[in-house]
Amino acid sequence: MNRISKASGIATALAVALAVPSAFAQSAEDGIARATERLSAYSNVPVFTAPGEPFDIRACAADKKMLSIPNSSANPFLKGIIERMKAVGEDIGLEVVEWENQGQPSQWVQGFDFAVRNEFHVINLISGISPATVEPQIRAANEAGLKTMTSHFYDPSFEPNPLISSALPIGFNEIGKILANWATVNTDGEAKIALVVSRDVPPTIPLVDGIMSELAENCPNCEIVREINVGVAEWGTKIQPSVQSALQAHPEINLVIPIYDSMSQFVIPALRLAGKLGNVKVATFNGTPFVLDFIQQGYVDMNIGESLDWIAYATIDGHMRDLCDLPVPDKLNVPFYIFDDGNVADAGTPAQFDTGYGDAYVTGFRTLWGLD
Amino acid sequence: MSDAAPDTAMTQINFMRLFERVALLVVWVLLIAGFHLAMPDIFLNWGNFSILFASYAPAALLALAIIVPLTAGDYDLSVGAMLTLSSCTIGVLNVWMDFPIGIAIVIAIGAGVVIGLFHALFIVYFRIPSLVVTLGSTSLMTGIVQLITNSSTIGGIDNSLVMAVVGGRFLGVPYVFYYALTAMVVMWYVFEFTPLGRRLLFVGRGREVARLNGISVSRMRVGALVVSAVLASIAGVMYAGVLGSADPYSGLNFLLPAFAAAFLGSTTILPGRFNPLGAVAAVYFLGTGITGLTMLGIPLWVTNVFNGGALIIAVTISQLTRGREATDIG
Repeated sequence: MNRISKASGIATALAVALAVPSAFAQSAEDGIARATERLSAYSNVPVFTAPGEPFDIRACAADKKMLSIPNSSANPFLKGIIERMKAVGEDIGLEVVEWENQGQPSQWVQGFDFAVRNEFHVINLISGISPATVEPQIRAANEAGLKTMTSHFYDPSFEPNPLISSALPIGFNEIGKILANWATVNTDGEAKIALVVSRDVPPTIPLVDGIMSELAENCPNCEIVREINVGVAEWGTKIQPSVQSALQAHPEINLVIPIYDSMSQFVIPALRLAGKLGNVKVATFNGTPFVLDFIQQGYVDMNIGESLDWIAYATIDGHMRDLCDLPVPDKLNVPFYIFDDGNVADAGTPAQFDTGYGDAYVTGFRTLWGLD
Repeated sequence: MSDAAPDTAMTQINFMRLFERVALLVVWVLLIAGFHLAMPDIFLNWGNFSILFASYAPAALLALAIIVPLTAGDYDLSVGAMLTLSSCTIGVLNVWMDFPIGIAIVIAIGAGVVIGLFHALFIVYFRIPSLVVTLGSTSLMTGIVQLITNSSTIGGIDNSLVMAVVGGRFLGVPYVFYYALTAMVVMWYVFEFTPLGRRLLFVGRGREVARLNGISVSRMRVGALVVSAVLASIAGVMYAGVLGSADPYSGLNFLLPAFAAAFLGSTTILPGRFNPLGAVAAVYFLGTGITGLTMLGIPLWVTNVFNGGALIIAVTISQLTRGREATDIG
């Protein structure tokens, strides 16, 4: 009896021992399946979904002026958005003016003063200027009857500054999740990641949280082997040696994620010098043209992009709704789109900022605004 | 008995001087040994050092560029901007305007000659302090770079440049290291074994004395400024080859590390004098520290502390071993 009991105990233990890895493998496979399914939404040419009720944008924008202040006019991404906002503005009767600056807060302050003196109606802080750095100026603008709005700056999880009239946040957390799911699917659930981040940029935190939470949910065998935190001002001198060192210290690394794609110009030389270019995958975010070219050249595997023109339309839409006291969308109505070697040719050769995303948004917004 | 005391003192002084000459190299070896003990199977291998040698080669060229005018008594703060202008010139000409890579390189180095002469015009002819002129030209070149690149990174530079810089290897080390090594050896020979090198040193130590000794001080200073700008533009060519792209911003960040290496290098090999061997040794000493620290996974702010701390400590020790006598540096 005792022997039987022992034997049955051993059998149970064996069954459990066999079942645990099998359950673990099953959970890993389920994770890959979930990640694949979640990625599919970003792999097709984006479709337009209306951010709110139709409205007569021409009536709303008539004789109105908007001053757009970028973080720095030297940033081609922001410059591109503002140029397109000017074009959309011309179409609807809104005068859009850029406050040219070199990224210095004293110049942003001058911009506010200019807007108040010249009787603008909207001040648009586009992707970068934290309202916290210009609070006295926002207060003065509010007192003068101007509305200050931000776009493409906050994550939906952030509490916007109470002084601003409205915010059009962008899903940085969602981007992190896309990166994590891509890593899961493209390494068969075995991603060993070197993560290059800039924690001095506020959106980094929700983005990295998105990567962590999605990996925890869908990829039990994935691991952030090394997080490399480099301030934006030091990308040129620090990223390359740090990535090289990480690759040397951890030969198991099979994926590098530079979370902002302009970082990849320093990641690629690190991979080349370490003899790992082509063997270690690179996935990133921003859709900057020269990085899309890297995909065509086989150096980068994936880049999540956004259409600048789409951002321009969505920003004008959200800001005009606020100006005319209509409900403002919860977030900027711009979809993310994954470029890889299968579709990167659609972005042009060499790649362009606005190519490859389709043009569903143009007819979509025009119909919504009553222009067509 | 009375003769013995000065002999001992002399031996002691010579010993101290010898120690001072090799102190940085000894610390470098100790640093490598320390990292080896911390990471036994990873740090001390040829692959790791071949990457280190190659990736710091543009910085070594920049440090060499700086010490030429420094030896002649002038500062060139524009080498980082010159590096950027050179690499972006290659990007614009080669990628956007379809110039053959060879022509683009020649034009980029030609831009170095022009900038060097521009500096010389204001510094030597109009007698404006070199700090002011090269600070101004840094801003000027930064603006020009933003104009010609439209503030964008330009990818897709001809692969033949990438291959010539980091694609090909000798003894496992990419060619770029040997280009920097060649520049160092040539400069060392000129500085140490030619009348030109001696004249340059005299100009830096005392312009009036040099002039009274028949040295054409103006010509020497013009030459030093042009060589500095040309070396910085060659560093830009190398940088474009290492990256395979042209970045309009990052080159400026190399200025401070290059100056740190130049001053740190002046405490070794030939203490008290800017010298090519010392400058390159200092670049790789700092590079070894940064590589080891990052391989250990230490946060990157520590590397800034290491760079600055190593510089201040080395120069201080050098001064103490010299009995706090005044140097011609700084």
